[in-house]
Amino acid sequence: MSAASGLPAGQPTAVDNGAQIARRRQRQEWWISLPSVLWLLAFFLTPTLIVLAITFKPADPYGNIGAGWTLDTIRSLGNPNYPSIVWRTIWISVVATVICLVTAVPFGYYMARAPEKRKALLVMLVMVPFWTSFLIRIFAWKVLLHPEGYIHRFLRLFGIVNEGDLLLYNPEAVLLVLVYTYLPFAILPVYAAAEKFDFHLFEAALDLGCNRFSAFSRVFLPSIRRALVTAALVVFIPALGSYVIPDIVGGNASEMIGNKIAQRTFIDRNLPHAAGLAGILTLSTVIPMLIVLGVQRRQARVTVPRRKRGAT
Amino acid sequence: MKKLHLRMLTTVLAGVLMLGCAKKPLTLHVFIWSDYIKPEIVQSFEQKFGCKIVLDYYDSNESMYAKLKAGGGGYDLVFPSSYMVNIMQRQDMLQPLDHAKIPNIQHLDPAANRFTMDSNHVFSVPYMLGSSGIGYLTSKVPDFKPTWRMFGDPAYKGRMTLMNDYREAIGAALKALGYSLNTLDTNELVQARDLLIQWKANIAKFESEQYKNGLISAEFLLVHGYSGDIMQIMEENADIAYVVPEEGTSVALDEIVLLKQAPQPELAHAFINFLHEPEIAAQNIEFVYYLCPNLAAYELVSDEVRNDPAVFLPQNIMDKSEVVWDLGENNALYSHIWDEVKGAE
Repeated sequence: MSAASGLPAGQPTAVDNGAQIARRRQRQEWWISLPSVLWLLAFFLTPTLIVLAITFKPADPYGNIGAGWTLDTIRSLGNPNYPSIVWRTIWISVVATVICLVTAVPFGYYMARAPEKRKALLVMLVMVPFWTSFLIRIFAWKVLLHPEGYIHRFLRLFGIVNEGDLLLYNPEAVLLVLVYTYLPFAILPVYAAAEKFDFHLFEAALDLGCNRFSAFSRVFLPSIRRALVTAALVVFIPALGSYVIPDIVGGNASEMIGNKIAQRTFIDRNLPHAAGLAGILTLSTVIPMLIVLGVQRRQARVTVPRRKRGAT
Repeated sequence: MKKLHLRMLTTVLAGVLMLGCAKKPLTLHVFIWSDYIKPEIVQSFEQKFGCKIVLDYYDSNESMYAKLKAGGGGYDLVFPSSYMVNIMQRQDMLQPLDHAKIPNIQHLDPAANRFTMDSNHVFSVPYMLGSSGIGYLTSKVPDFKPTWRMFGDPAYKGRMTLMNDYREAIGAALKALGYSLNTLDTNELVQARDLLIQWKANIAKFESEQYKNGLISAEFLLVHGYSGDIMQIMEENADIAYVVPEEGTSVALDEIVLLKQAPQPELAHAFINFLHEPEIAAQNIEFVYYLCPNLAAYELVSDEVRNDPAVFLPQNIMDKSEVVWDLGENNALYSHIWDEVKGAE
């Protein structure tokens, strides 16, 4: 931090024009973000590249990584059992993301509009689950959805489920627990954006003839767009990589890519194959992020000149 | 590189610790299956030898092996199943045992030698013999029959589990069909695959750990599991019974091995010898409900345990049972079948 603030001060400020200020600010930002860039390089990018490199190494049945290079693993990724697992991983993650967003938007909106005291309470309620270990909360779902558990008994009372029906060990249970786990991560960015939203705009829209719904969808939603994208990414990316949740509440037909990677590592002792699957997973999370970044950059390019024109 | 840093860190830490207390007692590091040793035995060894034992746990041979291979170390003794002993020996991870320091080796039951490739105990000493079988709730499964075919009974659909272990699950299907669970015959494996896919439609999930809690809480009515695990939970729910199917099953012999890089080989030998003191071995059998193959200990266990067919398997079932061997390159055959079973709709 001291380096970041010390450096620009040491620079001679001969001509104090706008371009130079901008350049200086840019340099300052660069210094500030240096630690996190180094962190990502050392602990994210390098390991990811190593994992990708292992994909092209031969495997032996004893879990060793052989010498030389091979394309065997890439060929074996054409395993006919994979498409259904990949498809399941994607649909569960997409549906979980959609449910989280649809729930988080009205909730975040409500939180932002609530009176101060209730707002603090609501924020706390969103955060409270984090005080308990993630694993314990998943196990708690096993108790709740147990064939003799409260939820099962309650639904039985209304004839919604029968004695023999199972609430656990199916893809729907995985979906439910995924939504439960990641909902707070979706609510928080939506709430943060809604909190900054100027609700006078909302009133203006109503005055100009919008009804409440179109004011919500045409004024409120577009202005928290960035938060929606963040919320979608923080749910979708970890959901794609789920391993523990499908392992504990999932059943026969809810295996996801994460479970397959674990099987290849621990049971088959085939690290290159596990690395190949992990590579697929990494690419499938990086691609949506790159798309989002691209879209945001294009939007930024469109909005910046417009703002400038407004200023002059 | 990572290893080097870790080693530097541990050296520094060890240095700090040594400065802290000049005369630190010797410490034995043991890597073992969970609930696999009577805690009092560990305490009495610590008292007798004035040392400390640190126990770390693993839940499968594979995860233990993966951890040791990845450089996780510092352990003296590990308790792998016999097939894994063979792999670890071939990977040069073990050091030979000095029989002069393990006089109790004389008590070993030669019947257990059938289940190990190291029958001269050059690298390993048998620890416990167990079987896989079926645990069930007697009140909820009134028409129980001692056969693997129970997993095909639609009456218990969604309330049964098979182990999430490809050799155990495919092995159960192979045994139900009367084949060897180490078969390399594609035709037999295909039949086992089809049977397992039928069973899959009936079970809640493939599960190797949580079946214990599931059976206690009556979430599952019938589970495929390890003998000792299921007998340990009988203490919590008297309705539970354990049976080895009459078609035979997989028998696992877990053995004690000394790692090549063991920091305390002397103490490790003393501990192996201690575990085979007849008195200690008998106490251990009564606690873990697996069978320590120690002839002198058999005489010392209570009649209740001595007559329990789940601990001392009847000879006719023993004859039909086998150990799961590592198949080297051919493991891929089973792994391929397992993918097909898991992927089947």
